[in-house]
Amino acid sequence: MLGLDFSWLGDATYQQWLLVGVTNTIELAAISSVAAVIIGMLGALALTLRIFWLEAIVELFVEFFRNTPPLLQMLFAYFTLSTLGLKVTDPATGLSVPLLSAFACAAISLSLFGGALAIEAFRSGIETMPRAIIEAARSLGYSRWSRFWRVEAPIATRICLPALTNILTNLFKTTSQASVITVPELMYYAGQIYNDNLRTLEVMLLILVIYVALVSVITFAMARLERWMAFPGYGTGR
Amino acid sequence: MNRSNALIEIDDIRKSFGIFEVLKGISLTVGKGEAVCIIGPSGSGKSTILRCINGLMPIDSGSIRVGDHRVHELTSEKAMRPLRHQVAMVFQQYNLFPHRTALENIMMAPIQVLGHDKREVEERARKLLKKVRLSEKADSYPGQLSGGQQQRVAIARALAMQPDIILFDEVTAALDPETVKEVLFTIRELVEEGLTCMLVTHEMKFAREVSHRVCFTDHGRIVESAPPAEFFDNPQDARLREFLGQVL
Repeated sequence: MLGLDFSWLGDATYQQWLLVGVTNTIELAAISSVAAVIIGMLGALALTLRIFWLEAIVELFVEFFRNTPPLLQMLFAYFTLSTLGLKVTDPATGLSVPLLSAFACAAISLSLFGGALAIEAFRSGIETMPRAIIEAARSLGYSRWSRFWRVEAPIATRICLPALTNILTNLFKTTSQASVITVPELMYYAGQIYNDNLRTLEVMLLILVIYVALVSVITFAMARLERWMAFPGYGTGR
Repeated sequence: MNRSNALIEIDDIRKSFGIFEVLKGISLTVGKGEAVCIIGPSGSGKSTILRCINGLMPIDSGSIRVGDHRVHELTSEKAMRPLRHQVAMVFQQYNLFPHRTALENIMMAPIQVLGHDKREVEERARKLLKKVRLSEKADSYPGQLSGGQQQRVAIARALAMQPDIILFDEVTAALDPETVKEVLFTIRELVEEGLTCMLVTHEMKFAREVSHRVCFTDHGRIVESAPPAEFFDNPQDARLREFLGQVL
């Protein structure tokens, strides 16, 4: 069918490349996802404090990272962070190498990009919180801080989980753009393989299947989390 | 009543939302163990009075004293903590925390805010659930309870703070006539036990039976305040007579 030839999959070198690629993709996605969620929470928390200058900084951050292409951000991070004097001397070779590897630049840039989107998601969760719930917490003597952690955050997290799922799946797929700054992840090795065996269609089909499988793990896990955290008696709750 | 003996003493409070003046000089005293009902048309400032008493809303002028707390001088949520310990509130929309069970809703604040011992609080919470006749619903979430049941959990949650005063803000307004009864039954018990209560309500019959005094608010003022028999049978103010004529 279509004259597809997958015999190159038997090649140990290709297998090795794919394995390393998948590992790096997962690692990059995991690091930036965790960082994005943390940035999102801190940013949303900062916005609830209603301090003028803090609000301005967070909003500027969100606008900047949300409104520019992640690929551009990554290139920007790669060429500035690695050239702006941030170099260390490798003790083994004596060569001067950038302190931040391509992988580190990609992780930083994706964390900030995902973080900006996550701030918006968490903010929406906090802003749709019924004011009455906050009033109840205040009348029970909760201080601002404990009210945030004990009442607002748990409720807001549940409200914004579907939006967060979207952000995390998109972030996972965006890791493929790190191939442009030579991060040896799945997309990068895909290019290596088809440049070598010239089986572009077959390689792309395989990569496609791998991405679908990996992202499905995230959506499945998030759906489980959503169901587990749902308010019983509401929506999908028991 | 001797003013200085009063548990709640409100003196000439004013409050505006933008250009709309909701409270135009309200003065009121409530003694210990007294049950005071506030009735009046929508928008007359009934609920605002309650929110000012426990500091949920700051007032523009006047003074509020609750026990030893001078409410109008408290500026931060932290400074209001002892006040909120003394004054609990129950809301029209129950406002239970949807991510916690009935029992947890009752236990949260005493543990997290007052720092009481968890075991002791659980014992207290189970007793309160029994008191509002919902022992079997301890592990149900608010979303799994009917409106009347949620409201009774909310009353138990307020009681768990061991307050001296409970403010009831139209607590039966969102309930159907059948479940109104079970909630009013619970409140009546509390009044009979001598808990100081302020109730904003539209339940005239209940106000008459339960309260020691009824106040009528209209356009940001208390225009009449009297014991229920006198209030309902011999209203002095023309606006009150008209209001009672419509609702009774």
